[in-house]
Amino acid sequence: MADSEVQEPNIIAENVQVRYTVNTNDPGSRATGVRRLTNKIVGRQGQTTVRALRGVNFVAREGEMVGIVGANGSGKSTFLRNVAGVEQPDRGRILVRYQPLLLGVSAALQPALSGSENVRLGCLAMGLSPEEAAEAFDYVVELSALGSAIHRPMGTYSSGMGARLRFAIALAARPKILLIDEALSTGDATFAERSERAMDELLAEAGTVLLVNHAAKVIQELCTRAVWMHRGEILMNGPAEAVAEKYRWWAWNVAKGKEDIADKLLADVVSNAVKEEINILEPELIKNPIPRHAARPSKTKAAPARHVKRQDTVDEVEETPTPMLAAAEEQVWPKSFDAEMPKAKFPALPKPASQAVSAPRITDAPPLRLNPSKKRVVLRAANPNDRASSVAAADDFTGRRLASRARQIADERYEERQRLRQEDDSHVVHQDSNR
Amino acid sequence: MSETKNPLGLSSIPSVSSEGLVPVGRRTSLSSYLAALWNRRHFIIAESRAKMSSSTRKNILGYGWLFLNPLLSVLAFWFIFGYILGTSRGIHNFLGFLVVGVFFFGYTGKCMTGGTGAIRSGASMIKGFQFPRAALPISTVVRNFLDFMPTLLVMVIVLAIAPPLEEITWRIVLVIPVVILQTIFNVGLACFLARLGHKIPDLTNFMSIVSRFWLYGSGVFFSIEDRLDNHPALLAAMQYNPMHAYLTLVRNSLLYGVDTDPKMWIVGTVWAFGLLIVGFLFFWRGEENYGRL
Repeated sequence: MADSEVQEPNIIAENVQVRYTVNTNDPGSRATGVRRLTNKIVGRQGQTTVRALRGVNFVAREGEMVGIVGANGSGKSTFLRNVAGVEQPDRGRILVRYQPLLLGVSAALQPALSGSENVRLGCLAMGLSPEEAAEAFDYVVELSALGSAIHRPMGTYSSGMGARLRFAIALAARPKILLIDEALSTGDATFAERSERAMDELLAEAGTVLLVNHAAKVIQELCTRAVWMHRGEILMNGPAEAVAEKYRWWAWNVAKGKEDIADKLLADVVSNAVKEEINILEPELIKNPIPRHAARPSKTKAAPARHVKRQDTVDEVEETPTPMLAAAEEQVWPKSFDAEMPKAKFPALPKPASQAVSAPRITDAPPLRLNPSKKRVVLRAANPNDRASSVAAADDFTGRRLASRARQIADERYEERQRLRQEDDSHVVHQDSNR
Repeated sequence: MSETKNPLGLSSIPSVSSEGLVPVGRRTSLSSYLAALWNRRHFIIAESRAKMSSSTRKNILGYGWLFLNPLLSVLAFWFIFGYILGTSRGIHNFLGFLVVGVFFFGYTGKCMTGGTGAIRSGASMIKGFQFPRAALPISTVVRNFLDFMPTLLVMVIVLAIAPPLEEITWRIVLVIPVVILQTIFNVGLACFLARLGHKIPDLTNFMSIVSRFWLYGSGVFFSIEDRLDNHPALLAAMQYNPMHAYLTLVRNSLLYGVDTDPKMWIVGTVWAFGLLIVGFLFFWRGEENYGRL
């Protein structure tokens, strides 16, 4: 965990709160009086406010794949929607380095259009140019592995096929932040492998993936870190193994109807939970700690005249002989110290060259020079103020440099996972043969 | 990641630098919003064509209906008004008058209803991708414009060959700027109603009534100058109705081949650009809310 602090954050969520006002037919929350009468007329029974997120603080860094687990209605999807920028939180704020891409189950494209037309439409919606969309088409077809079904209307697809196509379209834009809301759980085994590889590449390119999945096993296998959400708050935040294991244990007990054990487990987790807080350092404050109004130069200070500023040549300052100290005349100790010591008289020194009228002012800080060796490579959208510039240029220098490394890192991750799986399998086989 | 203790035993909150990070989903400045919208121009066109083809693909004749539909409506009008009723209501070439009115008003009317529901019908797009939301109302207008082009073609051909024959003057070219002005007006209208319709979903019910009032108030079936002779105040107000201005301009250029009062041109232009600016700014200011349905 310690080295993760070094990584640059890609997502920062600070005290995110969301509430919805929704209709309810709960008899307990029925309105009274005139309100009730108007509700009766419009055919409504009452309204209630649901706090979907109650102050979530969360940081995800480069190269992290964070799993989010939690019961239904714990605010996982709401959180992802807010991170994607589809909704704005009521309180708090969310900062991102790149435009996130949300991949949900329900995000249907145009069902009447064929798969290939939907690919084009989706790519254009993400901001690709028509040429880029045409280039991405082959990639999408390959990743989705739909074969000739790509030419059929999307309405005829099974839910798994639809999910595959949407995932492939989403990756065609090479997003840096991918938010997956249970979309991959409908894919079959071959697709699971393809999608994992695609995500590994994304992570290796300093991207971030947030994955919501109910299967704690998937979270354990794929993620580096996991977060347990409960009733709109983050209960646990830590290594995927530990968090997913606790969640699984709790969910299993709930499923088995052992409410008392589940409650005890939950109480245990809650009692240990600390509300995480984060301190966001504003780059403006780091660079310039003095507030602008305090640093404002006083108006009385006269600006140097124009002609002085414009003069480039520095007049030669005449060499003046250093005058002797006035007190140096009598370098003999006085007989008695009762008499006042002669005060040292300092002659008026000639003005230093820097203060000479003709010299250029050096009070201004020297211009910052870019030192290429010190410059850290920070990938970012072309124009950070413009959220539409979500598609990172793939062929810029950093992109190419990372891409060459990305494949290698992705392969390493993949092999590591395969090895772990084989170990698991051999373990199981071993147990079976023992029986 | 959790709280760390520093040597003094004080707990410290982990700090992260927000350098290079931007708030997500915020409304951007108008200039970069327009730039982003311009970047999605291919999306707008693809989206409107997708809507168009998904609505026609279910039919056997497909795109053929784009021409058949206006042709059949002209036939119906001719049958009822020209053959059965034999009415002219004191208007020269009443059939042409009616056809121009119905088709040109229909273009704006469809943009009105389409714009009101643009956000709701594009909900899946909004949730799936991040793009300037103004692309949705604009694409409804583009779609209706593409629908309108064959209609316009059919109309010109019918008016040229069907009796009573009208002499074609150079003024027929003036239809093009009128269609452009009306399209600009429709974009503004669709943007304005899109935000309003998102805020107040009930508006869809209301819109059909408003549309009907507007239809009669624009003089589609009758000349409002004749009918409102005894209500001068109402007539004066009607003169500033943008649809009335567009219809008058088209009828004068296409049917009657006469020059139109420049006041009509001014009314049409001011409405088109005024509503475009007002409607677009109104829509842009609500940009952050459209994800919540």
